[in-house]
Amino acid sequence: MILIVGGLGAGKRTFAAEYLGARREDMSPALDEKPVLYDLQDLEPLPDEAELLKKEIVICNEVGSGVVPIDRGERGRQEAVGRLCTRLAARAEAVYRVQCGLGMRLK
Amino acid sequence: MRALVFGGAGSGKSAFAEELSRRLADGGRLIYLATMSAGEPESRARIARHRAQRAGKGFETVERPCDLAGLDVPAGCTVLLEDLGNLAANELFLQGKASEKALQDMLAGIARLEAQARHLVVVGNAVFSDGGRYDGGTMGYLRTLARLQNALAGRFEQVTEVVCGLPVYWKGEGL
Repeated sequence: MILIVGGLGAGKRTFAAEYLGARREDMSPALDEKPVLYDLQDLEPLPDEAELLKKEIVICNEVGSGVVPIDRGERGRQEAVGRLCTRLAARAEAVYRVQCGLGMRLK
Repeated sequence: MRALVFGGAGSGKSAFAEELSRRLADGGRLIYLATMSAGEPESRARIARHRAQRAGKGFETVERPCDLAGLDVPAGCTVLLEDLGNLAANELFLQGKASEKALQDMLAGIARLEAQARHLVVVGNAVFSDGGRYDGGTMGYLRTLARLQNALAGRFEQVTEVVCGLPVYWKGEGL
């Protein structure tokens, strides 16, 4: 599994298509049979790590570089997304961070 | 050379971009293209501070909150455009343009600067990783700014993130 993280609108799916050869029709924002999952941060509930490791590519927005939300639920959610990405990154064969449409390989 | 410099608030991206511009200009004419709209007292104070910072560094300041496409700069000069976040806000909210129109106008304006200037340094913003869910206007602003920065990063020769005053090169290190 290859993990791609980056901010809102950073160009993560375009990067996956252009640099990693992923096909647009293989991308889905839901946990289905398609090999590329994007918008992981929006899935409710967050999937198990084991499910995500079966994917070829997992794409997630960075959500943790802002003020910690006052709302307990949102706060827990932000933390959970960050922790999940950290666990995925530890197991991923490669990790990319995308900013301004450019990718940097972190692992 | 065309360079995009971006970073968070207080990251030192302005100082880095100024230094890069001066190095590229190499004694030639330097234009500081300011996009901040001088409407409010806070903006005016900030502009005055930035002007003072640049005083003695050889920059001629030109204020241009929007409509870059209608601007002429001296041929062969070095332009420092600061910053895209203000420019996008002005095009969308002061001018009241739709996202697509604002984006195309900004890209055309910057292309015109690229054609006239010898070197162009553009300061962008890192405002996309806070996980915030905003109202439609703000989300539209973020998406427009992201598309603008992605397009420039794709065609510019150098792209640098500034963190605590230190450069992280995403493209074109050593140029």
